[in-house]
Amino acid sequence: MSVRGLTKVFKDFWNRPKARAVDNVDFEVRKGEVFGLLGPNGSGKSTTVKLLLGLLNPTKGHIEVFGHSPRHVPTKARIGYLPEESYLYRYLNSRETLDFFGNLFHLNKADRDNRAEQLLEMVGLGKTQTRAVGEFSKGMQRRIGLAQALINDPDLVILDEPTAGLDPIGCREVKDLIIALARRGKTVVLSSHLLSDVEDVCDRVVIYYGGKIQAAGTLKDLLTTPDTLRITTPVLPRETLEKVLAAIRQDITTGEVRVDNPTQNLESYFLDVVNKARAANETSGAQSGARVAEYLRGGVGDKPATDKVLEKLSLPPATQPPVEAKSAAQPAASRVDDKKLEALAQASQPAPPPAKPASAPETKPVDLSKANERLSSLLGGKK
Amino acid sequence: MQRILAIAWLTWKAAVRFKLFLVIAVLLIAAVVGLPLVIKDDGTAQGFTQIILTYTLSAITALLGLSTLWLACGTLARDIEECQIQIVATKPIARWQIWVGKWLGIVSLNAALLAISGVCVFGLLQWRATKLPPAEQKILREQVLVARGSAREVVNAAELDAEAEQVLQERLKSSPVDQVDVPEVRQQIREQVKAAQQVVPPSYQRVWYIDLGFAKNYLAGKPLQLRVKFNASQRSTSGTFLANWWIGVPGNTKFVRLFPMSLAPNTFHEFEIPPDMFDANGVLTITFENKNDDALLFPLDDGLTVLYPQGGFAANFARGLGIIFCWMALLAALGLAAASLLSFPVATFFALAMLVVVFSSSSLADSVGSGSVAAGNSETGQAGHSIADVVLIPAFKGVLAVVSLVKNFSPIDALSSGRSITWEEFGLAFAQIVLLLGGIFALIGIFLFSRRELATAQGTQ
Repeated sequence: MSVRGLTKVFKDFWNRPKARAVDNVDFEVRKGEVFGLLGPNGSGKSTTVKLLLGLLNPTKGHIEVFGHSPRHVPTKARIGYLPEESYLYRYLNSRETLDFFGNLFHLNKADRDNRAEQLLEMVGLGKTQTRAVGEFSKGMQRRIGLAQALINDPDLVILDEPTAGLDPIGCREVKDLIIALARRGKTVVLSSHLLSDVEDVCDRVVIYYGGKIQAAGTLKDLLTTPDTLRITTPVLPRETLEKVLAAIRQDITTGEVRVDNPTQNLESYFLDVVNKARAANETSGAQSGARVAEYLRGGVGDKPATDKVLEKLSLPPATQPPVEAKSAAQPAASRVDDKKLEALAQASQPAPPPAKPASAPETKPVDLSKANERLSSLLGGKK
Repeated sequence: MQRILAIAWLTWKAAVRFKLFLVIAVLLIAAVVGLPLVIKDDGTAQGFTQIILTYTLSAITALLGLSTLWLACGTLARDIEECQIQIVATKPIARWQIWVGKWLGIVSLNAALLAISGVCVFGLLQWRATKLPPAEQKILREQVLVARGSAREVVNAAELDAEAEQVLQERLKSSPVDQVDVPEVRQQIREQVKAAQQVVPPSYQRVWYIDLGFAKNYLAGKPLQLRVKFNASQRSTSGTFLANWWIGVPGNTKFVRLFPMSLAPNTFHEFEIPPDMFDANGVLTITFENKNDDALLFPLDDGLTVLYPQGGFAANFARGLGIIFCWMALLAALGLAAASLLSFPVATFFALAMLVVVFSSSSLADSVGSGSVAAGNSETGQAGHSIADVVLIPAFKGVLAVVSLVKNFSPIDALSSGRSITWEEFGLAFAQIVLLLGGIFALIGIFLFSRRELATAQGTQ
């Protein structure tokens, strides 16, 4: 996808400029990358998405998607789109919704049925297939919206605020799905104002403000602070810790050394609690689907139920996939004081189970590799 | 085609899930069953048919017409306003396919509703016919529940205009008038010339030569019907006028004088004439003698019509419904074309305004006839004149030309009077109404829809 000098000016009835929603924007999205459009509300992200899809006409500039104009109809067969709101037909049930959109992709009935079955299972709506979409909660509507965006096994998935209205489980599932798609070589464009969404899954981002791109690059480039270092280890005896600190202090003349227990982020903690509760309770709402549809995994057969993404992602640090790695628990900053140091060194258990470190630091390549292997296995061995 | 059918299927789903289909079907059936119960007929075959066919088919046309316009405007405009179109348009379906799919959905919905109500009307007609007196039932079977071809005297409008122009030029030489009054004078002279062909003064005769055309080949031995209507200059004391009719030409064809009749003015009368009265070329000669003290006027368009048996009622009824269906298809195209650019309420208002223009075409015709949109002075006889005439009169002529493509067909009137709607007529209606006018609306609608930005609306659902 290539965007050059893209400008969109909304005009009033008299053709007078009303708002410059997108202003001279340039970027490229490469095959297989997860690309984030980040920015506050009203910054021009959704307008950009709509321009990319041919739903709006640019005032100036040039857009190419797979080498064609966004209005080129055959190209749309390779695109999946989830809009910012659930713009679905309220009178159709979820099964009919997917069947309708499958028809627009010229899928035969067997494929439509097969994919609908898998997608509904994946988004956790397998048990609510005959309920009208209009009766769904917002989160359930987002899920069926996501399913329709994937009915064609798209090469390019454009997701506009995909986690809006979803509970933390749904958010996590969406992010897992994005990663799964990227591993199959699919390209994902993600528009969001939720920083954690973008940070968890995106390879590259552009940051919008006032219709203009204010910053662009890989997350690593944008977020790494090269003049600081973080080391994460299992709990060390006090003596060892003091030796380490002493060694560090020999080289550090300015600045501060911080030592603390890493804390798990709220999302990981919440997921752990819900997972336990789910084992004992049923719900009439959306289920946690989590199993990525088979055809989205490249045709590999069903995996056992224990392969569910959510469960896999809740495993100990060594097996965490990149999404966990990127949303890693952040060590709380604090000065080194002896009392605290002692408390840390004496702790026989680093944290109760929910507070167990959920991930390895981003900079630890060995953990990432293991996580990748794990997710690869989960997704049917496709990369 | 799969994509177009998917969109059409969606329209059906919406109509069923929102209970629109059910409500319209119930309303239609209520109109079909209820109207004949509320409005009493006069016990004659014609009166009975008038009630059943005219009122029910008119009610069906009105109900379906309004629902079609509403649905056509709503199905596209609301999809845009509620943003569902933003998902549909990002799928590999061309904008024209969306438009055609919507049209097809509405049209097929109409076809189903029209079929349901048509079957009800037909069944009711057959059932109620058994309740008529035997004599009226016979008339019903022979004259009304049939498909009768019709033949009229050919009116040559060009000759009429030429004659009127000739008279005008002669009068202008003898008594010149202002240039602005010439159109009015021309119109009055044309009416005079026309009246000379229509009016039968007291003690005068009027002869009609009616060419039966190809029908002469299968009408041997079959009685024909005359359908006549006249206007009188004054009201008679008895309310009726004496009518003497001669059929045929002495020495050339069979010749018969019908029994003198006493007929009321301003209404249609039908009576039988003996078989085989036309000549070898299929020309039937009919002579009327006015033995009254007042002049009688037989309108050129429907003053005298010869009706002859041509086919069965069921097929005729189906063709009549077919023409109504063509109207619905046009309304669907009109509504969709409006919704391609406008919001739902504005599109509905626009489409209804277009309907009002069609229904007020007689007023437009009056203005075109008088040559001005301004009213004339009836006391002085001075013609109206307006500076807007330069623009409006040609515009009105254009509108009338378009409207006439639709209004020239009158299936309800034909069915209730037992006149045949031929396949040619149905084909012409389909070509003019659906292909030509519907096609024009479709092209306009698809053009507008294709150029429209579909994501300017925020969701309202």
